[in-house]
Amino acid sequence: MTQRIVPDGAADTAPAPERDRRELLRHGLALCGAAAAASSIPLLLSARDASAQDSGDAAILQSAINLEQVTVIAYDTALASGLLSPPALRVARRLRDHEQRHAATLTTALTDLGGTPPAAPKGVAAVDKVVKGLRDAKSQADLVEFLIELELIVVAAYNEAHAKLVETRLLQTCASITGSEGQHLVALRMLLGADPIPSAFETGKP
Amino acid sequence: MDIDSFLRDPHSRRRFLKRSGVIVGATGAPMLLAACGDGTSTPNVLTGPDESDQADVEILNGALDLELQAVAAYKLGARRLRGSVLDIGKKFLEHEQDHADALAAAIRDAGGRPNRAKSSYDFPDLRTQTDVLRFAVDLENTAIAAYIDALPKLSQGELRATAAGIITNEAEHLAVLLDALGQHPAPAAFVTGKAS
Repeated sequence: MTQRIVPDGAADTAPAPERDRRELLRHGLALCGAAAAASSIPLLLSARDASAQDSGDAAILQSAINLEQVTVIAYDTALASGLLSPPALRVARRLRDHEQRHAATLTTALTDLGGTPPAAPKGVAAVDKVVKGLRDAKSQADLVEFLIELELIVVAAYNEAHAKLVETRLLQTCASITGSEGQHLVALRMLLGADPIPSAFETGKP
Repeated sequence: MDIDSFLRDPHSRRRFLKRSGVIVGATGAPMLLAACGDGTSTPNVLTGPDESDQADVEILNGALDLELQAVAAYKLGARRLRGSVLDIGKKFLEHEQDHADALAAAIRDAGGRPNRAKSSYDFPDLRTQTDVLRFAVDLENTAIAAYIDALPKLSQGELRATAAGIITNEAEHLAVLLDALGQHPAPAAFVTGKAS
């Protein structure tokens, strides 16, 4: 049995003259650019610029692997902090495992391309190069807020990578990873009691 | 504010567009899109644009069909939702409308004509809140799969980049819906929209 609905006004796609495509795009790109500049991330960006101007997808994968490795360190640090409640520990373990799987999958893809996986970064200092504050976290809320910040940077970096990647399967793999990072954001925001989805477009944080 | 008033309120919809900074389109999942579009229309390409723009218009219109279907579904489903779950439904309805508005603007900018919503949609019988949540999970998974399939087909890097912003938002919707159903919001390391 089915039921039918007539969408009437709900489905009207009236023009939005104040926002044409290029305006929206410019704003979106500005957000991504601001994310890179403000956070000093830019593992993705710096590695791309420094190591592989001409190696395209492989260079982007190396940077993405590096970023995932940093994220694993951040979750491991949070897990070992003694600051997380049992429910938060369960969430953090799951998300850490996801990040490890992302890194492993990207490493396989890089190897398939003939690239060399990057050396694993170590310690909190490696994380603080991406986002500062992990070392100073004093509470569960501090840690969760830090992890949200980091996940947002990861999302912004992947969004930028989508503009550069060429190979179809890599694009799709990265899209599925970006979706996972978005779900991480939801789980972390729920731990804080915050709005789990504050925007209709998740582009990462400026 | 009821759902109809909410949708008619240009301010509440516009504020998300102002925040978005992104647009994108997708398709390339012919079965999914055939199920969502009217099945009879030809691509609404007007004049002028080059081939890549025309291809993008087709892709963007495929995505628009899905978003319009989602708007209709959340509008219908909201009638069965209560309390905090109703708030979720309202918010997601607004998000999907924002996606549709952004896609329609992108299509016009590329010289195309945005598809309009169908005059009616065939949806399953949604008698309870759980029915609505499960159907919404199916819709979000369908959208994610279609967007991921379409992503590599977009001609411009900027469009691919911003497409990821919508994919991620749909994945977030999925997380909240799963949580409302008592499931983990992040069940898998890869969000593909397909059964693992």
